[in-house]
Parts: sequence; C-alpha cells; structure tokens
Amino acid sequence: MKAAVFKGTREITIEDRPIPEIGENDVLVRVAYCGICGSDVQAYKMGNYPEDIVIGHEIVGYIEKVGRNVDNLEEGACVVVNALIPCGECFYCRQGRSNLCNSLDQVGITRDGGLAEYISVPSRAIHELADDKDLYKYTLVDPLSNVLHAIYLSSFKPLNITLVQGAGPIGLLTINVLKNFGARKILVSEISPMRLELAKRIGASHLINPLEENIFEVIDSETDGEGVDIIFDCTGAPEAIQANATLVRKGGEIIVIGICEVPVNFDFFTLVYHEITIKGSYAQRIIEYDDAIKMIQKHNIRYRDVITKIVSLDSVIDAFKILASKKPIEGKIVVNIF
Amino acid sequence: MFEFASLEYMKEVQRRSNADQKYRDLSKEETASYLFILEPEPEKGVTKRFIIGYIVVRGEIVDVWVDEPRKTDFVISGKYGVWVDILLGKLGVTRAFLMRKLKVRGNFLKLMKYQKSTERWLEILRTIPTRFHGEYEKFNIEGKEYESGSL
Repeated sequence: MKAAVFKGTREITIEDRPIPEIGENDVLVRVAYCGICGSDVQAYKMGNYPEDIVIGHEIVGYIEKVGRNVDNLEEGACVVVNALIPCGECFYCRQGRSNLCNSLDQVGITRDGGLAEYISVPSRAIHELADDKDLYKYTLVDPLSNVLHAIYLSSFKPLNITLVQGAGPIGLLTINVLKNFGARKILVSEISPMRLELAKRIGASHLINPLEENIFEVIDSETDGEGVDIIFDCTGAPEAIQANATLVRKGGEIIVIGICEVPVNFDFFTLVYHEITIKGSYAQRIIEYDDAIKMIQKHNIRYRDVITKIVSLDSVIDAFKILASKKPIEGKIVVNIF
Repeated sequence: MFEFASLEYMKEVQRRSNADQKYRDLSKEETASYLFILEPEPEKGVTKRFIIGYIVVRGEIVDVWVDEPRKTDFVISGKYGVWVDILLGKLGVTRAFLMRKLKVRGNFLKLMKYQKSTERWLEILRTIPTRFHGEYEKFNIEGKEYESGSL
C-alpha cells in the first residue's frame, strides 16, 4: 500500500508498505480521508517524530476487517479513528485525564498513522459514524476535540470577551466554538490575510493583523482599556505569547494550545501583579472527542471554511511545504486517499 | 504656548529631548516605540481620545506623530488627568504604573529599565509651554526657553 512516511526534518517520502496485520482486538481501516495536523507540520519543521513512522492522525474511513475478538463493529462501517490510545490503567487515566496517560500511544506519532491506504488500530479507538457525502468533515473531529478540551479547561463563560491568537485550523475552530458558546466578542490576531478572511467568515468580531496594526491599541479600544477575559493562543509564536501578558485583563486567563518551538521570555512581573493564569492544553479526553462528533453531526461547525484544500496522497509533500511556510495560504488541508 | 498632545507639541518634545545631552546619555541604550493614549474625561471637558506616539533609536527621538495607532512596542494608556498630574510632577510615572493609573501593554520589565531616562524626559517636558484641554486649562504650564543642561 502507499503511505507517507516521516524521515526527519523537512523530509517525508511516499513509500510502498505492506498492508498492516491486525491483532485479535484490532480493526483494519481503509482510509478515506486524513487531515494534516499542525503538530505534523511542527514535526516536519522540527523533526520531533520518530523516523520511519507513517504520519497522519485525523482519520476517517471504512472498516475493512475486524479482529477475532471484535464483536461490536462490522466490516464496511464508516468510522473515525481516535488518535489517542491511552493505557486506561495509570493514575491519569483513572482520573479521567487520559490525554496525560503515562503510556500514551498516539496514532501517526508513536505508531503508524493514517496518511496511508490502510491502518490497523485497536477497536476501542474506533467511533462509528453514519455515512455522509461530506465524509471529509469528520477529519475535524480530532482538532475540534482539542479545541473543546482547551475551552472546557478554561474558565470561559458566555459574554466573555476573548482573543484568539492565530487563525490556523485550531484557531478557526476555536472561533467557531466560542461563537456557538456565546462569546460577547471574539477578537482574532493573525498575520496571514487569507486566514483572517476565513476567521471573519466563521464569526470573528474584530480582525487584527499584528504586522500592520498595533494590537495593544486595538485591544485597548475594544475592551475599554481593560484587556480581554481569556486568550486562546493557537500560534506557538514567541512574540504572540509574550504579548499575551498585557493583552489579558487583570485576573484573566491565557490558554496555550499552540506548541512553541523555543523558550519564551515571559513577563512574570505582570503575571503576578495582575493575577493572570496560564494553562497549557494538550490533545483531548474521550468526552471531548464525543462532543466533537456531535457538533459536526449537528452542523454546528463551518467545516467548509476550515478545510480549504483537498489533495491526493501523491501531493502530500507539497501540502506540507505550503503549511510550513511563514504565512500559509490555506486553512486545513485534507488528503483524500480513496 | 503648545496645545498638549498636538503635533506641534510633539515636535517640540522631539526638539528639546534631542537637544538634551543628559537625556541622550541616559537613554543611549533605549530603542523602542511608544504609543500614549489619553483617555477622555467628558465630565472635565475633555471629550477626545488623544493618541500620541514616538520612536526612540539609541536615545534619539527619530519620529513623532499624533492621532494614529501605529504599531509600537508599548502602548501606555490612562485618563487625561493622570497624564496632566504626571506632567505637573504631582504623580511619579512609576507610581502611576504601580497604582494602575497607567496601563501598560508591552514588556513591562523592559519599560522599567528606562525609568531614569523617562524621569529626565519628563523634566524636559515640564519646560514646554503647554496648554491643556477642558478644565485642565487651569494647570497650563508656563514653561521656559530651554537649553541643554539648563534644568
């Protein structure tokens, strides 16, 4: 079968690999679509995935074969694959924080992923779906569940004034959910004009291009000088993270979702003086995964404004190059495999 | 007399600051851009939100402007009257920050490094004949002709 294999920094190859074997508790999924995640792009730039792994973890497809012990799933069923496979037994799993599992297996990161024609996964990672003519939209279940996790982790309340730093796919979905959840204002800062346009379509109330405008002044005037209640930082950019300290109001909160490549010099004086809370948010728990599926099923997500390009597996390398550029000209890119 | 926060006022700020050797020495490590926002106080006859900005490059003010929220390293905002109090010397700028009468957006600790040059800068500003707006007119600064080192 054809597969996109991670070889190291800025190196992905399309290879011929054997169709994976399945164990008695596994299923073989024929991949229909797989999204390219920001973490994959980060790994492409930084080299922080294991070499020779098949990448891709935002997977939808059809069950091709089920293992001997799998009695709740049938061949031909339409499914989405949860990329997180926690142990279910460690301290964190028992606390319901499976995203912090002590031996977390991750599809497309620690085991072979879905930018391939087939993938083998434990049956407990499978969520069945009704078939859909726009099946590709379910590649957003994974990033959307990341966003829900971040919002559930925050102290967000309806009528809050929020700032979303970065309007890549995670930022766009954050805007979408905050709008659904009743944010009073959703200010969005992004350096790509194309992504700002997407943010506007999805529901941003004010757009800021920090390369052209004074973000401090805009926030000042949009919040009567107080700063925003909560910042969702989806950039991973040091400049944005540094600026957050004085963009959030006193007693406010900064939720960091984007992964920053370098240590950041942060203003801890202001953090203490203004009693600001910073929280990191990683991946998702099962509850958020289920909620993400429901939100997409109930048409609450403007997936056509988030997914802006669908490419073939042969074009994956070009897609990574586009997404790794400084000002990406796309939102989410999804790979159509069959 | 210069109208406070006008372009003419800012140009005079630039002229006098650049002519002051002590200020230049204290701020020789300073390269930064600033935007000051003077929030209106309609009850005191100040209805406009004034914006003034300037850029310092190694101690020299190289650009000044008004009414434009250009991209800067720092935005410092406060009520019009707070700025008047600072110019009159009734309120120290560091105290104004710590009392939260002035809000800083940007790297606060970096800003604090420029404390001494800021104090000198304010001394220079106090020499400029200044006409304030609204009820603050009663606090107009008479000022004086200024030569470097004459403070």
